[in-house]
Amino acid sequence: MTILTRLEQWKEQGKVSPEQCAHLAGLTRGEPFSLFLELNVLLYAGVLAFVAGLGWNVSTWSKQLGDGLVLTVLSTILAASFWYCFSRAPAWSPAETPAPSPIFDYVLYLGSLIWSMELAYVENRFHVLSGQLDLYLLASAALFFFLAYRFDNRFVLSLALSSLAGWFGLTISHWSAHQDAAYRQYALLYCLLVGVGGALLQRASLKPHFFGTYLNIVANVLFWALLSGVFIRQGYGPWFLALLIACGASVAWGLTRRQFAFVAYAAVYGYVGVSSLFLRGVTDQTAVLFYLVVSGVAMLVALVLIGRRFGRQA
Amino acid sequence: MRIYSASSEETLRARKLLRDWVGDGFLAKTQYQRLEQETPSELRTTNIFLRLVLFLFTLLSVGAAFGLFLVFLSRPSNQTAGVVSLIFAAVCYAAAEAAASQARLYRYGIEEALAVCSVGFLCAGMQAAFFSGRSYSPQPEAIQSMVPAAGVVFSLWIWRRFGLLYAFLAAMIFVIFLPGYWTSSHEAQHLIVAVFYAAGLVVVAVVRSRHRFDYLDEAYSAVEAFLWLGIYLAINLQVSSLNLSMHWWDGTRAASEFARPFYWGTWVLIWCLPPIVLARGIRQRDRFVIAVGAIVAVLTFVSNKPYLGWPRHTWDPMLLGILLTGVAIYLRRWLARGPGGIRNGFTAARLSGKDKQWINVGATVTGLLSPQAPAPQPSSPDFRFGGGQTGGGGAGGDF
Repeated sequence: MTILTRLEQWKEQGKVSPEQCAHLAGLTRGEPFSLFLELNVLLYAGVLAFVAGLGWNVSTWSKQLGDGLVLTVLSTILAASFWYCFSRAPAWSPAETPAPSPIFDYVLYLGSLIWSMELAYVENRFHVLSGQLDLYLLASAALFFFLAYRFDNRFVLSLALSSLAGWFGLTISHWSAHQDAAYRQYALLYCLLVGVGGALLQRASLKPHFFGTYLNIVANVLFWALLSGVFIRQGYGPWFLALLIACGASVAWGLTRRQFAFVAYAAVYGYVGVSSLFLRGVTDQTAVLFYLVVSGVAMLVALVLIGRRFGRQA
Repeated sequence: MRIYSASSEETLRARKLLRDWVGDGFLAKTQYQRLEQETPSELRTTNIFLRLVLFLFTLLSVGAAFGLFLVFLSRPSNQTAGVVSLIFAAVCYAAAEAAASQARLYRYGIEEALAVCSVGFLCAGMQAAFFSGRSYSPQPEAIQSMVPAAGVVFSLWIWRRFGLLYAFLAAMIFVIFLPGYWTSSHEAQHLIVAVFYAAGLVVVAVVRSRHRFDYLDEAYSAVEAFLWLGIYLAINLQVSSLNLSMHWWDGTRAASEFARPFYWGTWVLIWCLPPIVLARGIRQRDRFVIAVGAIVAVLTFVSNKPYLGWPRHTWDPMLLGILLTGVAIYLRRWLARGPGGIRNGFTAARLSGKDKQWINVGATVTGLLSPQAPAPQPSSPDFRFGGGQTGGGGAGGDF
């Protein structure tokens, strides 16, 4: 029995109203057919292609065009983009706010990318803060956070989070010794800062719908950092313990909030970490393969049980 | 032929639509609960994340078990390894059948991975068991095409039996390897692949007309889209060429590599195909086919200059970006100006919350991957801004 037949049946039984039936049947048949997603993808691809071409032009022709012209063009696009956004945006609200126009999010995204390009150009041509690129990243992150919260834009929030991560990374790239350990510590600090910041903002009901983005990024950075600690030859014990705790927390969060991505993170990262410990120093091929078979099947059983208990909904 | 009954799959589809509708506010919660109780499904499903992880661990376990067998056989010959592989293919397929028919697993990761393993083991086993001892020849023997042919047939079977879309994609990929065994002519190879896909397209177009609005409609839609894309890629000599990277950017690829009529014939076809695909997608109101129509239209714009042997310009991507943005804005406005924001049954308005979800996920991922910040630079004072190797938004190595 197709869904259209079912709908007719439900209408006759009075379980859905005739209006609901007509609307839902129309949706099923694609009447009307929404091109919302396709047009958004087209806009995004257009902005990205434009910025890529602009970057290519600037890097190829900057000497012939001269700094003045390049900066004028970039600044004009930047100013026009931000003028459009600030002049069209509705009054700020801490709750989720729909974009005032269909192209609004993409104009803001364009402005943000042009900002990065212009900063890079200025630094590379004039060395205003020579050797202090991390400050540019920090300034960009601050601007992007402001724009993301002002205009309720996830594109720019992601730019902000990756700029902040870049700032942490660049800051420690100045340190030559023990870089891996330093990277790990900074990654943890980044997780702490972003995680706590995201949680506080959510508690304060400031764009609480952004919290999922924070959490997914924090979870992945945290697991990478902990895994890199587990892989070191000596002193991996605390990292392994931390990985187990993180996996437990991730599973608990995923199951209680029904966000199964976190269960998947825990399963994959946890398995890699535990396996690296079990297989450390094992050179016998048979033992390795035997371990992989047994542990793989054990993981399957555990995940099936979790799936049957919690994860039936697709 | 299908392992799941039509009523089971139709019920699953109904449950999925009910969830979407209640999420979008088209149904009240109480209505949803009542209707959901009326659509019980005996199939076991899971969410996408657990599905992926289960798929991964099944692949790992089966792969390790195969390796373990080979180790126990201590340095087996290629033929022996091939036979073991064929046995594994049979066992994996039987296990996949059992998982789907007995345990009622549906898109659960496990049965899918087992089915995928069975295709992989079959092809690897046939190659190792029957063809591994042969001496090298620059022109492979036609009989060796049995391996990709078996891959095509078995992948198609898996697709029909389990409804796994990527099995159809695998079959299409296997088809690419077939003509290499039959002819050394590049023109003929492109043509054979395109003819295979076109034949598939005709069959799918005929079959899917019987499945409008039922549970198979979406699956056939995706398959048709894959086939259109496959045909386009087979005839676009600039995109499908293996030495693409050498000739792509400088536009020096010569038409002389192919016979002139064939080369220019394909150039005409790459301009004809996008409007045909788009028209078909719009006529059928088929999201996948429309998407492929848009993709092949962009690919035609991008590959036109290399086709004609014209050099690329640094501003080409900008023009493409302006074109894409312009088309999107124009279409949106044109649709919005129609009565009720609808023209010819199409609207630019969002009708489903899922569209917004997709955009949110896409925004997060693409935002993280976007070139958004200056990269570390060489400290040499006479470093010059230039090079243009990477383009992008300013994060390239030359910035």
